[in-house]
Amino acid sequence: MQRLDDLEDLVQVNHLPLRPVRPLKNFWAFTLVGAAVLFASAHTNAQQSASVAISVKDHRFQPSQIRAPANRPISIRVKNLDSAPMEFESNSLRVEKVIAPGSDGVVNVRALAPGRYEFFDDFHQETRGVLVVE
Amino acid sequence: MCKQSINMAFCPHYAAERLFAFLATATATVFISSFAAQAQDAGAFHEVETKYIFGNFTVGSSTGIEGEKAFEPETQANFGKGSGRYAVGQTVLEFEYTPTQYMQVTFGPSVSFYDIYNVPGLNNHNTAVWNGFEAEFRSVLIDRNPSPIAVTLSLEPEFHSRDETTGEKVVNYGLEAKLEADAELIKNRLFWGFNLLYEPETTRADLGQWQNESTFGISSALAFQIVPNVVVGADLWYLRHYDGAAFNSFTGDAVYLGPTFYWKIAPKVLMSAAWEAQIAGHQPGVSGALDLADFSQHRARLLLEFEF
Repeated sequence: MQRLDDLEDLVQVNHLPLRPVRPLKNFWAFTLVGAAVLFASAHTNAQQSASVAISVKDHRFQPSQIRAPANRPISIRVKNLDSAPMEFESNSLRVEKVIAPGSDGVVNVRALAPGRYEFFDDFHQETRGVLVVE
Repeated sequence: MCKQSINMAFCPHYAAERLFAFLATATATVFISSFAAQAQDAGAFHEVETKYIFGNFTVGSSTGIEGEKAFEPETQANFGKGSGRYAVGQTVLEFEYTPTQYMQVTFGPSVSFYDIYNVPGLNNHNTAVWNGFEAEFRSVLIDRNPSPIAVTLSLEPEFHSRDETTGEKVVNYGLEAKLEADAELIKNRLFWGFNLLYEPETTRADLGQWQNESTFGISSALAFQIVPNVVVGADLWYLRHYDGAAFNSFTGDAVYLGPTFYWKIAPKVLMSAAWEAQIAGHQPGVSGALDLADFSQHRARLLLEFEF
């Protein structure tokens, strides 16, 4: 934020030697390095994943509670047995996937710590289930 | 309106505004406290993404859902510079994308609005202009489970062709770096948010010389899911402004306090809003209870998100 008072000061003191500044170069260098660090910190995990299956019928998850081992990536195969599309979604698992009627889809989840993780059908919010990681 | 040179602690106008900020925040806090005392109703309340529940001055740690795309018009407005008329706003038309379960990217152009009239030290402006481009990269540093506190690092490079405060033509680059942390105090109901801000900027005005400045900030916020999909809360910020990119010369500080509101209107649509008043502040060598040179008297944010 540039204030006019500062500009007036600059006019008065612009005879002073100024240190050469290359703000553009520094700015983009810092930004690119920062972005690279962020991308690098986006965790990758080469462990073999555990597989879990669940289906949706009459807008209910069957079973409504599924279990998976801790500290391993998880593949959840979701079968939609209803005649309407559903969207498997979870805030804590950070996944969502639209699954057409009568078809299935695989949702890949990162390795998780032990705990209970809610999921739901975003198109039918009353359709809810829990993944128990132990 | 009282003039800036008067000690604003004794100005009835500002005293009334500070009182209103306190009352609004106290009301939100009472709401939070009374509902927090109730037993948890696990059936009615579900998980919420915490990114926007603190009103969006304080940002929560959630980085969204993998593959999620959204359009987010976000407006910040600043009001009041002591005397004259000062209303300045900026709307960023953001596209948000979550490529992984740990990373979120946001970018978009910004439009600025200036209504400045008879404010000492500022030229009059009454205009709306395209004013640059902003991007944001967010990455999870600490996941919530098993840690009770989740932390996300946010880096937000910005370019502006108009000064955000004065409306003058400039070339301005900034980088807003933030640590965004939150904790779930009562499952699915009560949340605490904490942000740490460092924002260096460099600006070239018509004189052709670059000037650096920086802002440091720290915040604390409470948010309570009062009914399913509606969250109310209070947000407190302390900000310090410096000339120089590395806190070289202190120019003033300010404390903001105000209520926040979040509403998940539909599964793919949400709204987040906050209004805050400067309740304390000072400039070195200037008498007065506020810093209205570096900061505005009021500030507000409104964000809408449309997921697709």
